[in-house]
Amino acid sequence: METLPINFLIKDSPASVAIVDSNMHFISHSKTWLEEFTNGRSSIVGQSYYDVIPNTSEELRKIHRECLKGKTNVNKGHKLIHPNGTVQWLKWKINAWREEDGTIGGLIIVQEDITEEKRSEELLMKVKSVARIGGWEVDMVSNKVYWTQVTREIHEVSKDYAPNLEEGINFYKQGASRDEITHLVSRAMNDGTPWDTELQIITAKGRELWIRTKGEAEIVNGKCTRIYGTFQDIDERKRTALEYQKVSDRLAIATNAAKIGIWDYNIVDNILVWDDNMYDLYGVDQKNFIGAVEAWEACVHPDDKERSLKGVEMALAGIKEFNSEFRVIWPSGEVRHIKAQSIVKRDEEDNPLRMIGANWDITEEKNAEKKLKNLLDITSEQNNSLLNFAHIVSHNLRSHSSNLSMLAGFLDKEENEEERRNLVNMLLDASESLNETVLHLNDVVQVKAGALEEMSPVNLSKTIKDVEKNLSVLLLEKKARCTIEVPETLDVKAIPAYLDSIFLNLFTNSIKYSSQERDLDLKISASKIDDTILVTFSDNGLGIDLDKHGDKLFGMYKTFHKHKDAKGIGLFITKNQIEAMNGKIEVESNVGIGTTFKLYFQIN
Amino acid sequence: MEMKKIQSTCIIDDDPIFIYGTRRIMKEVDFCDNILVFNNGQDAMEGLKELTTKGEDLPEVLFLDLNMPVMDGWEFLEDFVKIPNLNGKKVIIYIISSSIDPRDLERIRNYKVVNNYILKPLSPQDLENVLKDVA
Repeated sequence: METLPINFLIKDSPASVAIVDSNMHFISHSKTWLEEFTNGRSSIVGQSYYDVIPNTSEELRKIHRECLKGKTNVNKGHKLIHPNGTVQWLKWKINAWREEDGTIGGLIIVQEDITEEKRSEELLMKVKSVARIGGWEVDMVSNKVYWTQVTREIHEVSKDYAPNLEEGINFYKQGASRDEITHLVSRAMNDGTPWDTELQIITAKGRELWIRTKGEAEIVNGKCTRIYGTFQDIDERKRTALEYQKVSDRLAIATNAAKIGIWDYNIVDNILVWDDNMYDLYGVDQKNFIGAVEAWEACVHPDDKERSLKGVEMALAGIKEFNSEFRVIWPSGEVRHIKAQSIVKRDEEDNPLRMIGANWDITEEKNAEKKLKNLLDITSEQNNSLLNFAHIVSHNLRSHSSNLSMLAGFLDKEENEEERRNLVNMLLDASESLNETVLHLNDVVQVKAGALEEMSPVNLSKTIKDVEKNLSVLLLEKKARCTIEVPETLDVKAIPAYLDSIFLNLFTNSIKYSSQERDLDLKISASKIDDTILVTFSDNGLGIDLDKHGDKLFGMYKTFHKHKDAKGIGLFITKNQIEAMNGKIEVESNVGIGTTFKLYFQIN
Repeated sequence: MEMKKIQSTCIIDDDPIFIYGTRRIMKEVDFCDNILVFNNGQDAMEGLKELTTKGEDLPEVLFLDLNMPVMDGWEFLEDFVKIPNLNGKKVIIYIISSSIDPRDLERIRNYKVVNNYILKPLSPQDLENVLKDVA
């Protein structure tokens, strides 16, 4: 063999080539061979193939031996598993070379390590199999259909199944899916439009599956020669997506029916999105606003705005979720109560990303609640009155009746005439006291019953001046000075007899508990505050220690001064009368300086 | 059996008929000769304080009404326990009231200083029971 020029050619061969003699010793090799198989050695000429590549498998050695006998061996990819477990993929082409005399002189080996490529290919196969992506191809010239293994698996057909185009299409579910694929395939064949869609097939075993089909056509000279594409099993994902869609639709129907508005605030991009229900709840048309933030700003009651914004801020800061109530004003002026609940979504570092919430109208509940609270107030008030009555009966009536029975017992045994007369007088006193208590009880009952009477506008100034006139003798006796500053135009909604009684009681109290040390000075004024009229009634009398007696001041049979006429009934009835007219009474007092009563009346 | 008479007693009540009746029954059962009377809690506080400042003994038994003007029985009890020089002899207090209101009875239980509750009208038997208790 003329080695030199050949050596020279082989050396620069792009393929990995080696020439060995009949003893498998290297005669010549390309540079690529060195790089591929010798692990950096500079020269291997003259060395044994098996010394250079010691892990050559027995299988390959056998092939070498056979080739040395004249066979040719070609392998496009052979997997070798070495004793240490490493996997190597080789492809080769081996044939013998002959001396001039025709005897075999050795082998020409073209060999490549294709482990990397094979690994990638294997991985790709694996991915396709795991992702259940198969391929298919239709050769329009031969009308042959080729399916990859995964495509067959998805169709649940045997490994050697080969359909024609029509059979392939017939796997699609009759109806929408089959119509659609027929349309897509014919269009692609017509004008080359590719497709990518999700349809349903019925497998050979009769299972219904969602698949994704992608396809394109190859058109040569205006004629479709080939269509090919991929075929993917997406059943699980699709069913999940459909289920999600169903749930989401159901939620939308439910929130619609319940009139619950949903909002979604993208904090990162500062975008607030409202669903249609939100606009309905706020009584406005979406078209009239640039965005939901503007709509919210425009509708929320001014008194609730700051508090609500603060609430959102606190939620974003992670202090407390925004679960609140606020009012909105509809364009008609109607005020509606809105309940808001929300939740903040955060990233791993706790930064707020989104805030999602729901709004619903609780105006009816609010009104009902108010009504209920009102009823509860009335009930507890009435319960209180009942307890008062119970107390009057258990204490005051009993105190007189026990006196009567005691005196009657004495009288029964007493023989002394003078003492008997004395006892009879006391009996008369006791029965008179009993009578008086019964009258008080009747007064109190009258106040309660009177609450049902119609109230009417009563002139305040005239009422006060009439009472003053009726008491003029007593006031003169005390050298009292009355300053009445009540606008003559002021009317209050009241039961006239109650209003008379209230002022009569306040005047007589001031007279009764006036100071010995100074002339009585009375100041009465009135002013309008919103929907109520405030009457201030001040004297410079004895005053009451409110720290001590405050809670009992308006109680029944509570007296605080040593006065022969003190009965402890007046302020109790006054308070009941005012409350029966939906008003209220407050008191301020300083011992030795005087007392001021504040009375609140309704205008309407 | 002849029971030991009480040295001195005190009635705090604003009802003149009750005071009359009590005095009469006390005489009947020979309860006590020395009877102090006050018409409300405040008069009683002032009177009793005066006794202690003079160094005299406080009454052994005290009959206290609840509903009274100016200072009622409850307020009297609050102030009474604060009187200094209550040392030595213990004062026995009976609430005596016409009230059959269960809230009043409940409230009385919270006062340790109160020995018992007597419901009006007062009977001779009630006072004889007090004499037994004190003895």
